[in-house]
Amino acid sequence: MLQVRNLKVSFRTEHGPVRAVDDVSFDVNEREIVGVVGESGSGKTISLLSVMGLINDPNAVIEGSIVYKGRELLGLPQRELRHVRGKEIAMIFQDPMTSLTPVYTIGWQIAEQVLTHNAVSKRAARQRAIELLTAVGIPSPESAVDRYPHQLSGGMRQRAVIAMALSCNPSLLIADEPTTALDVTVQAQILELIQKLRRDFGSAVVLITHDMGVVAEVADRVQVMYAGRIVERGSKRDLFKNPRHPYTWGLLDSIPPLDGPRPHRLKSIRGMPPSLLALPKGCAFGPRCRYQFDKCGEQPALAGSDGHDTACFLSPEARAAAWSQRLLGTKAAS
Amino acid sequence: MNDSAAPLLEAVGLSKNFTIGGRLSPGGLKTVRAVDGVSLQVWPGETVGLVGESGCGKSTLGRCLVRLYDITSGELRFKGEDISRYGTRQLRPIREEMQMVFQDPYASLNPRRRVGDLIAEPLRVHGRRTQAEITARVRELMGLVGLSPDQLERFPHEFSGGQRQRIGIARALALEPHLIVADEPVSALDVSIQAQIVNLLADLQDRLGLTYVIIAHDLSVIRQVSDRTAVMYLGSIVELGQTEEVYRAPAHPYTQALISAVPVPDVDRVRSRIVLTGDVPSPINPPAGCRFHPRCRFAQDRCRTERPALRPLGDGRQVACHFPLTAAPAPARHGNGVAQA
Repeated sequence: MLQVRNLKVSFRTEHGPVRAVDDVSFDVNEREIVGVVGESGSGKTISLLSVMGLINDPNAVIEGSIVYKGRELLGLPQRELRHVRGKEIAMIFQDPMTSLTPVYTIGWQIAEQVLTHNAVSKRAARQRAIELLTAVGIPSPESAVDRYPHQLSGGMRQRAVIAMALSCNPSLLIADEPTTALDVTVQAQILELIQKLRRDFGSAVVLITHDMGVVAEVADRVQVMYAGRIVERGSKRDLFKNPRHPYTWGLLDSIPPLDGPRPHRLKSIRGMPPSLLALPKGCAFGPRCRYQFDKCGEQPALAGSDGHDTACFLSPEARAAAWSQRLLGTKAAS
Repeated sequence: MNDSAAPLLEAVGLSKNFTIGGRLSPGGLKTVRAVDGVSLQVWPGETVGLVGESGCGKSTLGRCLVRLYDITSGELRFKGEDISRYGTRQLRPIREEMQMVFQDPYASLNPRRRVGDLIAEPLRVHGRRTQAEITARVRELMGLVGLSPDQLERFPHEFSGGQRQRIGIARALALEPHLIVADEPVSALDVSIQAQIVNLLADLQDRLGLTYVIIAHDLSVIRQVSDRTAVMYLGSIVELGQTEEVYRAPAHPYTQALISAVPVPDVDRVRSRIVLTGDVPSPINPPAGCRFHPRCRFAQDRCRTERPALRPLGDGRQVACHFPLTAAPAPARHGNGVAQA
């Protein structure tokens, strides 16, 4: 449904060009939930903002190709893009107030969206708003439509934004850290809702998050990004049961376990993510990688089989050895 | 660990009210009971984790514990001394012994001062040291938290989030405190950096014999760092006990729901997630009886009228529930409100 090919996004800055997204290609199929994981600055948000045509920075240079249902989106005039955006592809953000204006009621804002993309009466649009608020689980939707954003809690605001995103039954929903600002019990409600979307509306979802737990819970496929590139991607099962990239290992090891024995120390990744202004030569993860060797001075290509790809020069044998060693290490620590 | 020694810090029925609104606002003056009768003992050398959702009063409690806030009622004893009514001057010597680490390493450091000065500030404020002593101590502190002493002349913006949190920790350690209250010390950081700071806090505790109260909303972080965990809901502690026990067999239905809601990076575990309906109620107008009853799956009539007190369950566990869950997992509790994750 969505095909992104060789996407490159860079920004001209006074310190020289910053490449935020570097040669990223991926697909999103119908009715699929794709998790995009990475830390801040990994390019996960920027790559999907490009899909939405929401990078308006005059200093941004976007190259590559983004094909949605057979139609090239890059270079499409804003006017035509607006028909796609909102109606076909919708996006929600971490902070619901990014997409809500404080001066109109929730109902007005949802109805506006409905009226923009459909030829319906105002009354019907309002009715649709109430239906949508019901669908996302806002209690007493008839009165909630007349509330202002500040009168709702964070979780309810995020639901209202999801209702707005759903107003035109988009076939693709891009959710950028939709639960990061929410409490766990509310996060659980929103994650249920996202799964319900796929079930009831048949939407595909791209879920951008830094939380491996969230991905393990809802995604079908996962791609891990580091310093603007995809370093590993695969089915959720492959990625969590048999991760291949040392960065993915590091991410998984950094999370304190919720049950079982507690490790005395967490296995952290040494160092910190590189500045995009001064990326190391070759593999950007190299300087932080415990398995770095001379070949890592070149850029590894993303390759693999059975839909499980990784960008790493480690041989399958070396990788298997390192991974089993890691499992042993975990056992020894306990 | 708490056999013979006296608690380092002890709160008895500690409450903190805030007044909101004004005579001219629609509802008039209102009182928010942000912390409502909390009793908690913190023993030397241990780490107590305070966990709960936003608005549960965990940060307010943390600030009361180091007396950054005045306490509305109740007692607060530090090394046996009741400090709950102390004024600024009386608190000064005590402030040297209890320090706070804040969440946001971007907001808690003055952007116009050099890192060396920022770390030296508490040493200057609490006097008695020569410039040479201060410089030596600042270098020592930077080494202790894993910063290079040649970064002394730099400004906070030249550091990453994790490094700034290290600066905040160095500042808190400057006066060799016994107690550190850390409010969400890792929540603003990327996952790989979080683990580094969690490890740093553990190392410092081992080396310096520190006592911690760590406040976080992230249940897996709290499990990793704390010996005992206190779960808060609407201003009160609803469950308190040895961390691994609380996580293994929560006794309060809220604790159980909270833990079950955390997404776990393990695709093999099919967990029955308890999805709580609704939001945390407003502390301005808390529900009668047990404050959790409107969201509780097991609520009975008694829960709607009578507020349960925090009472011992044995094994050091305390729980504020009329019908605490027993240690054995109860399989028959599916159905209403339970979704398969």
